[in-house]
Parts: sequence; structure tokens; C-alpha cells
Amino acid sequence: MITAARNYLVFLRRCARVAFVGDWRYYSWMGVLTVIILLGLNAYAKQFAHGLIVTGMSDEVSWGVYIANFTFLVGVAAAAVMMVIPVYIYDNEELHDLVIFGELLAVAAIIMCLMFVTVDLGRPDRFWHLIPGLGQMNFPASMLSWDVIVLNGYLLLNVHICGYLLYCRYQNRKPTKWFYIPFVFSAIIWAVSIHTVTAFLYVGLGGRPFWNASIVGPRFLASAFTAGPAIIILALQIIRSTTHYRITDKALLTLRGIVQVSMIINVFLLVCEVFKEFYSGNLHVASAKYLFLGLHGHHALVPWIWSAITFNLIAMVLLVLPVSRGLRYLNVACVLSIVGIWIEKGMGLVIPGFIPTPLGAIVEYTPSLNETLVCFGIWAFGLLCYTIFLRMSVPILQGRLSKANEGISEPGPNDIVAETSVTSHS
Amino acid sequence: MPAPAPHDPLTAPDAGVTRRSFLRTSAVLATGLAAVAASLKPLFEMEDITSAQQFMQKYYKELTPEDMAKVLQRIEGEVEKEYGVRPHVRDLRPMDGVEFVYALNLSRCIGCRKCVHACVAENNQSRSPEIQYIRVLKMPHGTFDLEKGDHNYASEQVPEKGFFYMPVQCQQCHNPPCVKVCPVNATWQETDGITVIDYNWCIGCRYCEAACPYWARRFNFTKPSIPAERLNPNMSYLGNRPRSQGVMEKCHFCVQRTRAGRYPACLEVCPTGSRKFGNILDPNSEISQILRTKRVFMQLKEDIGTNPRFFYYFDV
Amino acid sequence: MHPQNRTPMVLTGLAVVFIGLAAAFLSDSWGYPAPRAKIPLVDKAILDPTTVRRTYADLIRAKEDLSDFDCYACHEKGQPPPLRYDENHKLLIPEEHVNIVMGHGSHGRNNNCFNCHNETNLTTLQPRDGRELKLENSTELCGSCHGPTYRDWDSGAHGRSNGYWNTKLGPAVKKDCVNCHNPHSPRFPGRKPAPGPHTLHGTGEVTHTPESPSTH
Repeated sequence: MITAARNYLVFLRRCARVAFVGDWRYYSWMGVLTVIILLGLNAYAKQFAHGLIVTGMSDEVSWGVYIANFTFLVGVAAAAVMMVIPVYIYDNEELHDLVIFGELLAVAAIIMCLMFVTVDLGRPDRFWHLIPGLGQMNFPASMLSWDVIVLNGYLLLNVHICGYLLYCRYQNRKPTKWFYIPFVFSAIIWAVSIHTVTAFLYVGLGGRPFWNASIVGPRFLASAFTAGPAIIILALQIIRSTTHYRITDKALLTLRGIVQVSMIINVFLLVCEVFKEFYSGNLHVASAKYLFLGLHGHHALVPWIWSAITFNLIAMVLLVLPVSRGLRYLNVACVLSIVGIWIEKGMGLVIPGFIPTPLGAIVEYTPSLNETLVCFGIWAFGLLCYTIFLRMSVPILQGRLSKANEGISEPGPNDIVAETSVTSHS
Repeated sequence: MPAPAPHDPLTAPDAGVTRRSFLRTSAVLATGLAAVAASLKPLFEMEDITSAQQFMQKYYKELTPEDMAKVLQRIEGEVEKEYGVRPHVRDLRPMDGVEFVYALNLSRCIGCRKCVHACVAENNQSRSPEIQYIRVLKMPHGTFDLEKGDHNYASEQVPEKGFFYMPVQCQQCHNPPCVKVCPVNATWQETDGITVIDYNWCIGCRYCEAACPYWARRFNFTKPSIPAERLNPNMSYLGNRPRSQGVMEKCHFCVQRTRAGRYPACLEVCPTGSRKFGNILDPNSEISQILRTKRVFMQLKEDIGTNPRFFYYFDV
Repeated sequence: MHPQNRTPMVLTGLAVVFIGLAAAFLSDSWGYPAPRAKIPLVDKAILDPTTVRRTYADLIRAKEDLSDFDCYACHEKGQPPPLRYDENHKLLIPEEHVNIVMGHGSHGRNNNCFNCHNETNLTTLQPRDGRELKLENSTELCGSCHGPTYRDWDSGAHGRSNGYWNTKLGPAVKKDCVNCHNPHSPRFPGRKPAPGPHTLHGTGEVTHTPESPSTH
């Protein structure tokens, strides 16, 4: 028992050391992220001291860019794990590595989600009121209580899966199937649930006709499975170029397939939504009008949504054409998808729900400087987490950081020792 | 591919740590920590850091009468410290056999907004930033499309020809969406029909504000500011005691008055007597008689299924 | 530059940046909410629940001077005061009663003084059924013509009560007709509305709504 604990602590210490030590590029990257995080921390300190008045939110538009980012990132977290599906159909040991990168992204995304929700709270010091047993949890009526449970559960699930698989690889031990396979399959179902629950947060509100529509749930999932794998495609290429971890283009093209189909579905659902809103001309169309056309002289979001639609359409065309088998075009399509979906699902979903208010008033919303700094800070923190996770996991997967070489040497940034390749069945 | 450098301090953990590199690393760490500490400076400017008792306070429904007495004492002390006025804070419970209903005569409302301001004064709402539970809409004749309402009319005289005026406040719905969505049960409906908020339990997530179809709920985006000379010292725990930054509030039918048998402040100040209030379970109350005899009365947004306890009716 | 030399430079640079950041934080130069426009406190008269008029009954209760209502200080007992009309059959108000503006009913339908006042006993009022009502019971007079409104007033649907809805705990004081309506010109007067709402951000100007012109 004690040796097991000691071994684990040594493992953690070595991982931590690897995370804090690197070359000048690593220090520059982490330095930039730290500066942004500190700017965000300072901005949040101001918000904690003075209240949410330092944001651009008001009683009319009471959720803003924090919840917009939260919504987007829940989708990324859900989709990151969906890569597991094609991988587990092919019982290939090497493919598990790709899955780990996806799940680590999910962990980073969930951490960001939890942070975004926390900074949005008026009284974060009262977070303990949410803990079942200690506080009061309005389960099952409140979708937010569901969200708290499923997000934290998803975090624990993925931390367990990654931690276990990485530690086994570190010890050069074959992982026991029962310790991770059931969790992986739970994670697949759980991934769908976290995003559905988040969608239901909006759908369940009868007083907001823009959100109270059955298309919101499917659109959430379609857009998540577009943006999530797109982020992973970009992340894998960055991993490949900075760590020389071999990731074949075939793996990237499998993901391209997912992004392609999801984007087509996403655009189709957009068409459905636009038709439903505008064809019948009933009174509940005000929010959609505000978003797409402007309402009574207020049109702050109109350029944003049309840019998003343009990006999504260009991305869809690129993804459908064989030209996107080439990485340059694929990357362009991915970036366009991510930006387009961030706008559409973030500002394009949350803000129009509040404009006009249920009493018909229009008060527009612009994120304040403070709000923006907090958002950047949280994104930077998420990137920092993901960088650290990769910095720990890549050497483990490559075999350079293993029990066998404990006490001998730590892997340096430019060491190329053993390589493991990641391929994907077509 | 570059080979690992022999003097690379990264591959030889213990050898090669020069004084310079140690100092450099320490400098980065120290300056980093200094930057972290400096970034938290605004926290030290906070005056209103929550006390331990406030932080640990139990949920309203779990407080014993002794707990509640202590809480009320503490609140009285806090208010006295802040405003220089010792209030009287009570925990009024719902009366048996009482269900409150409100009715508003749209033929009589002239849109003078006295109710708005009387409510603000009675319920110790923040003046800056401004919180007002009641919002009066100036509606053109012949429509109930709320988008056509004007919230900030400032005509020389009201009522203006061709318009009617509709005040909207919390409707104390039978089927309240705000209660359904609150993750911590900070808002619930009591037996007399009033949906109340435990201000010391609310975490400020604003889900209820998004859920309300009547835009009835308000959030304290910063510390509310109430002029001490206008503080109403007759307070109740679930009603008009001063709220803190980061929590929700809304119309509660003046619990501090109505549960003591009195009319709400908005009703008492209305110059045209457009507001009607009472116990619907009493067949002889004004409100029962109105709802029995008036042929045309309605609930706002009836189709959503909230079933409000607030009725709008017409005389002429 | 040799990659090996870059790391120390980057680290030194980082340390400098952190110091700069710390100084920037301590200087507090950004991020605070813009000072809000001062919203003036509302005039206390708006908060006053007193009715627009005081009735004769109110004056009696308050034990005030009622000499203004002593009709026979000027009029002669037994002599009904004559009514004078102009060429358009509009009632001419004598200069002693110049503060009375007649406007009872559209097109001046009810501008005959003795429709309500008893010409043989000016201190009383006369509903059509032959009764004589004291001035403080004018509500019965109004109700003798305005039946449906009187019925509503009686049940509480019209007019206002102040005090307690639960009369077991305290009194409810129902206002009389003439607390709100001038009996000679009963149409409820218009008034200036109290100030409208202010938004949280911006210049404190009011909410943008469709009907109001855009201010910027």
C-alpha cells in the first residue's frame, strides 16, 4: 500500500516537474498565458468586490458573455469525448492515445465551464448551497442542478479515465479493462447528457419564445460535434509539430468526416429555424428579428450573426469538397467553423433570448472591458491546463517518462527517444 | 533534429544548477507571486466582506425559532450599523385560510407611477442603481402586444388619449417558473400564494430572472444604496429588509404589511383606486366580489400556463 | 542566437513583465464601472397616499372650520337662489361662487345646481326620491344616479380603501366619492406622471422602447 502510494507520488512529482520545465518557447507561451490569466484574475477581483455592475449585464440582459462561453465550452467538452466512438469500435491499443488527448481537452473544457459559471454567480461565496446534503439542491426540477451534477460527474469520469490510462502506461502495465472500459462508455453517454442538459436549461423557459423551441437541443449537439472535433484537429497538429508525437493524417481525416457531417446538419437546422421563425409571421418572432434583421433600430448583433453564417457556409463547402483533405484548407475550415459556431451559440443564442425583454423593452448588451478580461483569463487558464496535461501525457505515451527511467533522467524538450504512432482506420 | 545538449540543465536535474539560473528562476517565481498578489488588490478594498455568521446561515426552512430570533437580531444590528436606524425585523408567517390575489382595473389606471415609487419607498429598494419592482407600460388602444408598450413615457399629463396604462409586477403565479428553476431553492411559494426569496440563501445565478415571463425579478448588480432618511424600519425577513450585493429580489405583495392584515403600499397610494387586493378564499372580500362580477378580466400571458394570481379587469 | 541563451532571456523578460503587471494592478487604472448619472430622489409628494380632495366629512372629523359651508350666512332662508343663464343656456356662476367650475357630464348635461342641491334647504342635498341628505353623506346622492358605479363602490371594486384588508386586525377606511371626484366637475383630473425608469448602464437614460424616439 505504502509503496503504491509512494510510487504514485513520485509519478505526480515527475509529471509536475515536466510541466514546469521547458525551453524558451514553452516559457514564452506559458508566460503569455500567465499574464492573461493575471489580467483576468485582477478583473475578477474587481467584479467580486464591486459586483456584476462591472460587466455589461443588466436586469434586461441578465446573462452575457460568461454564459455564452460556458454554453460553447460544454459543447466542446461533450464532443471531445465523442471521438471515443470510432476509436473503440476498432480495438486498437494505439488509438487509445488519441482518445486521451480528446479526454484531456474535455477536462480542460469542463474546468473552463465551471470557472465561467462561477464568475457569473452573484454570490460565489455561497457555492456550498449547491452541494446536496450540505445545502439545498432543487433536483430534479431545476435544470441547473442537473447541470451541476452532470458537469462535475463528467469531470471526475474523464480525470479517472485519463489518469488511470496514463498511470498504467507509465508503469508499463496493461490497464485492467474493468477499470476503464465501463467508464469510457459511460463517458460517451454522459457527453451527450451534459450537452442536452445545458440545452434544456434554455428550452425549459416558457417565457422566452426564442429558446422555448425543440430545435435548440439538436442544434446544440450538431454545433458541438462540429466545433469540438475541429478544435481537436487543430490541437493534434500543434501536438504533432511541438512534440514530434506521430499523428497520421488519417486520424485527422477521420475527424474531418465528423466535422463535415455535423456542419451539414448544423446548417440544415439553421435553415429549419429561420423558416419556422419567419414564415408564419406570428408575434413571437421578435428575438429572431432582432438577431437577423435588427429590431426597431437596434441591430448590434446583425453583423455578428451574418458573419457567423457566412463562416459556417464557407466551412461547410470546404469540408464537403475534397480540397479540404489538404491540411491547409482543412485548417481554414476548422477555424471558420469554430469562430462561426462560437458566435452562433454564444452571443447568437444567449443575447437574443433577452431582447426584447418579456415586457417588450429593448436594452442592448455589450461586454465591458472587465468582462472581456475575465473571459480571456479563463480561456488562458484552460489553455494553460491543456498545455500542462499534454506536457505530462505526451512523454508518458511516448515511453520517455516511465517507471523504468525513474531517477535516471527527465525527458528534455528536444529528446526523441521512442516514438509511438497514432493511426486511424479509414 | 538537435541532439540533447550535454550541459542542458533539464536533462541533468542536480548538476548544472548555477547560482545565476537559480536566482533567475526564483526571480520569476517571486515576481509572479507579486503579480498574483497585486492582482487581488481590489479584494482588499471590499467593505462588505461576508461575516462568518452570514456565510454559515442555514436555509430559511431549516431555521429553528431560536435560530431565526438570532438571525433577526443580527440583521437589525447590521442595518443599524449601516444606516444609523434600528429597524424592527420580524419573520411573519402566512395566515391560515388566506390566499392573496391582486386585481388591477385597467379602466382606471392613469399611469401616474405613484405605485412604483411608493413600492420603492416601502420596500427599501436601491435608488442607485435603480430597482423598481413595478413597471408601468403605456399601451395603445386595441392591443395587448407588449412590444408596443412604452416604458418611459414622460408626457405632461396622464392619462393620454388613445392609450391605456398597465402596471406589471410579480404575478405570484400558481405555477411559478422561477421556483422551478432555482438550483438552491432560494425562492419558493408560501401557502398564502406569495413567492418569496431567502436573500441569505440566493447564490445570484439569475436563472430565475431568465425564467420569469413577466420580467418581475431584479438583481443587485452592486451594493444597493438606500438613503438613510428614507429607510422604512418596519421590516420582515422575507420582505423589505435591505438586500446585499449579488442577490435577487422582487415584489412580495408587501409581506410585512399584508401578513399583518394591511394593504400593500402600491394599493394605498393609487389615486384612482385601480388596485384591488385581498383574500380570494374569503367569498366576501373585495377581490372575490370583483372576480365574480366583472365579466372581462384576464391574466397576462395566460398561454404560458403560469396561472398568475394577478388579474387585469375593465370597468368601462 | 543559440537556443540555449534564449531561455534565460525569456525568463528574465518574464520577471520584468510580472513586475510591470504588478505595478499596473496596483495603479488601479482600468475596469471600474463608469460613474453612474445621479438619479435624484423622488419628490416625497409622490409617496403621499392622501386623496386629491378632502371631503366635508373629512373636515368634520378633523374638527376644522366649517364656516365656508354656512350657506345662510349669505343666502336668505326660504328664498331659493335664482339661477341665471346666458344666451347659450350655459349656467352663469355668480362671482361669490367663482371657485366652482361646472363640468358635470359631457355637454354640460348636469349643470343645474338644484339637480343635486336642495333649493329650499341649501345645507342639504336632494336625491330624486325626496330624501334630504346631509352634505357629509353625499355618496348616497351620487349613487342615486350612478347606480352601477355605486354598486361597484359598495363592493370595493370602485374607489379605494386604505388600512386593513383583514378587518379583524384593523379598520379599512373606504374613500367617499368626493375624496377623488370634484362633485361639480367630477372627471378625474390628469396629472404629471412620476419619473420613469433608469437603466443600469449607459447615461442612466431610460429604456429604449419602440414608441420612444431613440436618444442616440
